[in-house]
Amino acid sequence: MPNKDNNILGTGRSGKGRVGRRKFLGAAGAGALTTTVAGCLGGGGSDGLTIGHLAPMGNVLGVGSKRTAEMAVEELNEDGGFNGEEAELITKDTRTDPSEAQSVTEELIQQENVDLLVGTFNSETTQSILDLTSEFDVPFMITGSAAPSLITDSVGSDYEQYKNVFRIGPINSDFQAESIADYCAYLNERHDWSRVAFLRDQAEWTTPFGDQIPDLLSERGLELVYEDALSIEGTDFGPVMSDINDSDADFVLRFFAHIDGGDMLTRWQEGQYEFGIEGVHVPGMHPSYNQLYSGAATYETTSQSGAAGVTPITERTQPFVESYAERYQDAEDAPIQAPMYMGFNTYDGISVFKEVVDAMGTTSTRDNLDDFVGEMLDVDFTGVAGQVSFYGEGSEYPHDVQEERGGDDTITNYPVTQWVSETELECVYPEQHRTADHQMPTWMQ
Amino acid sequence: MLGDIGTLVLQGTMISAVYALIAIGFTMIFGVGGTLNLAHGALIMGGAYVFALLSRSVHAAVAFPVTIAVIALLSWGLYQVLVRWVEENVVITFLATVVVAIASTEFVLYQFGGSPIGMTLISGAVNLEPYGINARTRYVQFVGFVVSWLAIGLLWYYITHTDDGRSVLAASMSERGAQLTGVDLHAVRSKTWLIAGALAGTAGVILGSTGGATPLMWLNPLALAFIIVVIGGIGSIKGSVIAAYVIGFLEQFTVTFVGHGFRGILSLVVLVVFLLYMPQGLYGREFAHD
Repeated sequence: MPNKDNNILGTGRSGKGRVGRRKFLGAAGAGALTTTVAGCLGGGGSDGLTIGHLAPMGNVLGVGSKRTAEMAVEELNEDGGFNGEEAELITKDTRTDPSEAQSVTEELIQQENVDLLVGTFNSETTQSILDLTSEFDVPFMITGSAAPSLITDSVGSDYEQYKNVFRIGPINSDFQAESIADYCAYLNERHDWSRVAFLRDQAEWTTPFGDQIPDLLSERGLELVYEDALSIEGTDFGPVMSDINDSDADFVLRFFAHIDGGDMLTRWQEGQYEFGIEGVHVPGMHPSYNQLYSGAATYETTSQSGAAGVTPITERTQPFVESYAERYQDAEDAPIQAPMYMGFNTYDGISVFKEVVDAMGTTSTRDNLDDFVGEMLDVDFTGVAGQVSFYGEGSEYPHDVQEERGGDDTITNYPVTQWVSETELECVYPEQHRTADHQMPTWMQ
Repeated sequence: MLGDIGTLVLQGTMISAVYALIAIGFTMIFGVGGTLNLAHGALIMGGAYVFALLSRSVHAAVAFPVTIAVIALLSWGLYQVLVRWVEENVVITFLATVVVAIASTEFVLYQFGGSPIGMTLISGAVNLEPYGINARTRYVQFVGFVVSWLAIGLLWYYITHTDDGRSVLAASMSERGAQLTGVDLHAVRSKTWLIAGALAGTAGVILGSTGGATPLMWLNPLALAFIIVVIGGIGSIKGSVIAAYVIGFLEQFTVTFVGHGFRGILSLVVLVVFLLYMPQGLYGREFAHD
């Protein structure tokens, strides 16, 4: 018989539901208050030019983005300012929590009166603040989320309402899917790898890949031999590896942002499985990732905007990374050598913003949103992650960053890097940015 | 087909052993003190981080037992400093241990950042394909299996064959009865936390060495411990071991025959069925006394 009276088992005392509940509510309330207040500390009202930066600060990717935002604001302030004005930067921690993102965004808009919002990482968080930014006409530059729906469901469906929204990078997942499929064709050409096992996070951001990758691969003469979406709540990679092995795949094409592939990589190295591990692995973009896993990531690849700064994507890329490393080499927290992809995009976003307000002749972007949008659409800017220009109103992805295409019409601004040792990365794709050819794991050679 | 079954049995056995390690400490503390220790997952996480730190400077064979000792002491300390003063009130204990768990996440974030940290207990793997089993099992998984059963065996011997252990068993059966036969309840509870801590530390090392350590790695083990303990019967060690294997194998069945994305679903369905129709679990006792 269960403990129906809510007695405290084994203590000989009777249930005390009422008192317990009241105390519980009190304690829960105090906890909620503490966490809310913690997000509100710092910052004060401001009348000058203010840039609000949003990122998950518990994540190295967010730390890198914050640092590049600081770099950009400091450099541009020194370099004549934004239309002559000095900007102030305020960073708020969104965590990866949509409701937290909403509350800090509201604070930035209402109390700090920001003239630009830049950042946001996971697509769910970005989605949650789109309405807020458009309601207050605050220019919003997305620098960390790739879901096409962020553009197509907002500015793509109601242009007037959401015209404040732009994406600086990365290119959206539809273009990413195409670019990755071309990369797979390159692998087939180089190693004769034609059998693909396709794995992804069971999350919103991978849906476009799930929809498109099978067709894109078959168009390129590649065979999909295994496909599954993995729970982001915890996966035992033992059976996953057995299934892939069973499918006789030449390589795994995986899209992991929520799942840390460390377990998979360790099993791969130790078990010497005869397939490559390719695709997108957000945790693996951490500059010290391979050291943290004692070399288990060697030979894995991931696509990432900016290619971690290992190759001169534009003439600005490497000076930017060098200056970042110089600035943060003694910092306590990672990333110290280079920011992760979001940092590249955030830096470009703030730089583009300067170009635009200079051209507008005012920094009051919220009162002159149409001018701002007009100038943004004229932008053709050489950034650190590539050339930045945006799709216009009538296109499929209005205000989304345009993909760059090479001579053979393949996308070039979604480069792929490969770990070649515990500390070294090479850019293996596309040809234009390649620093080394893709290597097979030693045990397969 | 036979090979598939072999693979399933092997992988189910390996993961279930770790699940058992995760759940036993949790169930012991509940059985003896009536305390839901929500910091159990945090202790597991502590095991992973302590081992990661130690194994950088000393050999893994030394770091492993030291980690177990450190986490056992931490768990004991948690009882002495915090829980024993509030354990009379279930809700306050519940909240206090939640706060410890969340604070430990913040501490780890502050100290190590959010990035995963890998560690090596033992490296290498054995390819079982020549034997018809489609798996390349890592040595660390074998170690996890052996250590899990070693711990279960030692615990069983302690509880059934030593006076000290029998007092733990007595306290979990009936506190009043135990007290009447001269058992010092406070000492028994302290010992229980020490043992549960040692088991959590062991689980942490195994989990950390298979998947890496992250600041939120305690969440899944804690949820698992809950499910296992409810199915096995709250407070029953035997029930927890059996339930760990039930869950482990259910998960393997699901990923083999349905898909990896549905891994945890069937376990949750079973949990609901148990809660509705068999709330005392497989080996739970009826609380007739008190």
